[in-house]
Parts: sequence; C-alpha cells; structure tokens
Amino acid sequence: MPSAPRDWVRVAVPAAIVMSVAPAVYATRYLTVDEAQHLAFPAATQFTEAHVIFRPSDVAAIERLSGQKVRSRGQQVWRAQAEGRLLGFFIVDYVIGKHLVIDYSVALEPDGRVKSVEVLDYREPHGGEITSHSWLQQFVGKTSRDPVTLDRDIRNISGATLSSQHVTEGVKRILAFYETCLR
Amino acid sequence: MRPASASARRSRPLLGTFVEIQAGGVSRGQLDAAIEETFRIVAQVHRLMSPRDPNSDVSRLNREAWARAVTVHPWTSEVLGTALELQAATGGLFDIGVAPSSWVDPLPPRPAIELMDGHRVHFVRPDLSIDLGGIAKGFAVDRAVASLRARDVPHGVVNAGGDVAAFGRHATPIAIRDPRHPRSILCQLELTNEALASSGGRIDLFESAPVTASAVLDPRTGAPARTILGATVRASTCMAADALTKVVMLGGESMTALLAHYRASALFLAADGQLHITSDWSGRVRLAA
Repeated sequence: MPSAPRDWVRVAVPAAIVMSVAPAVYATRYLTVDEAQHLAFPAATQFTEAHVIFRPSDVAAIERLSGQKVRSRGQQVWRAQAEGRLLGFFIVDYVIGKHLVIDYSVALEPDGRVKSVEVLDYREPHGGEITSHSWLQQFVGKTSRDPVTLDRDIRNISGATLSSQHVTEGVKRILAFYETCLR
Repeated sequence: MRPASASARRSRPLLGTFVEIQAGGVSRGQLDAAIEETFRIVAQVHRLMSPRDPNSDVSRLNREAWARAVTVHPWTSEVLGTALELQAATGGLFDIGVAPSSWVDPLPPRPAIELMDGHRVHFVRPDLSIDLGGIAKGFAVDRAVASLRARDVPHGVVNAGGDVAAFGRHATPIAIRDPRHPRSILCQLELTNEALASSGGRIDLFESAPVTASAVLDPRTGAPARTILGATVRASTCMAADALTKVVMLGGESMTALLAHYRASALFLAADGQLHITSDWSGRVRLAA
C-alpha cells in the first residue's frame, strides 16, 4: 500500500490526446440506466421495475420467433408511466460485441413498436460506430413482424460487423420477448 | 482429476448502472454459483438503498425518520455511519442530505441525522431527506468482493459503473477517461487488492455539445463543481474511494489530510488542464501523453 500522501504532483495534460490502449476496465460509463430511461421517455413520471422469469414455453416461443438463442433466465423490464398511463416499456439487455459485452437498451411503445435503441456501455476498443445515432435510428418503428436482419432492413457497418450483427439480433430477440411476455 | 479452472464475466443492471463481475480460478460450477450469489447480495444493497424503491431503508427513512426512530438493516447503518463520519471530517463538504427545494439556510450547526444503538436512525429536521448515491455503490462493490472471497474465488474484479475493486494476485489495468473527451484516455494505472472510484462531468456520447455541468454538487452552494473536471480516488475500500471522489471534486488539494487519514491516493483534472496527483501515487499512474 502506498504511504500517506504528503503533497501533490502537477502535470499539464493537453486535451484531445488519443491514446490507443489494450482493452482495460473503463472507469466511467456512457449512460446510466436512469439517464437512458429519461432519454427514452422524457414525459414519464414513474418507472416500475419487473424481472420476468422465463418459463420453458417462453424460451421456446422467443427462440422460434426471433431465431436467436435465449441465454438468460429472464429479462429485466421497466414500465414507463405518467399519471397511471402506460407510455411504454424500457428493457435493458446485453450482447457480446467481438469480445466484450455491449450493454444496450430498447424502449418500446405500448403496442410493441421500437421507440428507441441506445448503447449504454461499449467496452471494445474498436467498432464504436454502432453507437452512432443514425445507425441506431434504423430500429425506430420496427415490430416483431419486420425482418430486423443485418443487410436486409438494417445496414451493416464495415469494421463493426460483429457488433452491429449482435445488437441487431438482440433487438430482434427483445421484440420476440415483447410478443411472448408483454403483449 | 481436478476440475479445470474457469473464468467468467457477467454484467447486470443494478444500482442505477451496470454491475460487472469478472472472476476466475475455480471450477465452472463453483464460479457460477459464487457470481450468482454475489449478484444477489448486490441486489440486496440496491433494495435497501435505492431512493426509488418505496420499501427501501432510504425511502422509509425519508418518510418516517423525522417523526420516530426507524430501524434499518445493519448494512444501511454501516453506510450511514461512514457517511456521517465523512460529513463531520469535511465540514459538510460530503453530504448525503438532499436539499429541500426552498434551501436557504446554511448547514445546521448540529448533525441532522442521529444514528442510535440497534441500527435505529432519527432525523432531527423534518425537511431532510437523504440519498446514498454517493457512497452506496462503493459499499455494494465491497460486499461483492467479500462475497466472492468468502466463496473461495481467488481473483476477480467488480465494477459498478466506475466504482471498481480488484482482488487476487493479478494486477488489473484500469483506464481513466478524459472528462473533456470521453472517448480518449487520460491515464492508466493498475489495481491490486484495492479499490478505485471516479467522479466527473456527465458523459453523454449522444449529445454533440459538450456537457459542462458536473454531476457533483457543492452542498454549501448547490452549484455544480466546475474548477475540477474529474477526480479519481484509490483506497482500500470502495466505499471510501466512492465517497472521497466527491470530496476531492469539491475540495481539491485541500483534502490532503483527509486522504491521508483514509490511506487513500487521489488524482484530479482541473479545468486549466493540470492533472494533480498525490505524490504517493504519481509513480504508479501512466499518463496518456
């Protein structure tokens, strides 16, 4: 353990020096769950949290509808409300990018259309293009009846193929979760 | 035959952020069980200290503690004890009290919160409410590390949105973001059997305009910290590191004695671009330049 600090060392650090580093634990976040919730539903006065535990029949239905494997035992979801009126659902999920976990959120209208998709935390050193607004904007309005498939109705990003593919698959799985458990 | 040693990385939304656990060195079954149990413990801290859950200790205190003493969980009592100790040691710079909307009076001359035997808590002022957001996350990380250790996991890292603790013989590399440019890195350091926490400006990669207001408010004025853009503190517990970052954000170099008391090291980036590092730590911090 270092000894007690006695004084301070000062170093000038010019802004905007970009250092490329090996993947490390990043000590700050992009967007907290709270912030993402209020970004998605600015009018909401209340977010009620629920943890939906999947029954085996739910897992089967989500896998059939989405063509994606369900790896979690349940899904955390918030109901966004204002004066008792349901504004929609807010779901936090994660997928693997190339090597590391990408945390993202999906906001759904009460009828299950995608309201917004946000990347909450992206830890990989490359492929951060998926956090761009224009790419995420493509999901708005999608429902479980849309393909939501890379290179069909969702654009691929060269250099971030795995990240964009996995987020697309994740959104498709969330839409199937809505059909199965929230509708 | 001994079962092969496994490693795992799991993340769950808890405590208003993502709690990530990386651990390894035991069999897959033992590791999965240890991580599952550890997330349960973090979820319990969340339930006790979330200001949004009407049944949490914090919500019960805010509703009832001015009228009568409220009995809380020993963990809530422990966090309150540390918070009050820091509040006294910093002359009110660290404050878990939430300002009432018509906040005009200076800090009360006597402590507004009484912590009594049997984990009972009483609020002296009826208009007081508390928020443990500046310290509970660090406490949860400490509980998570204790839980993994108690289940014989030899090494791991717990990260709750920048409140990080590492245990075991491996050094964990940590990158500190530049608060002025969240996609670039200010410095790097390594963590071994110790904890780290950071505070800074609100980082929002989806807004192109720079975010100037800080997430840390000066309890004496209610104004956001502006002269210090971001602070990081290393300490033996994550609860101390978490709370001390807020103090360093507001007090800067004047907090030397307090940091020494907690055997903590600190660095902060001032608005003029100077990075200040406590001398005990400067040799271990690698600058980006």
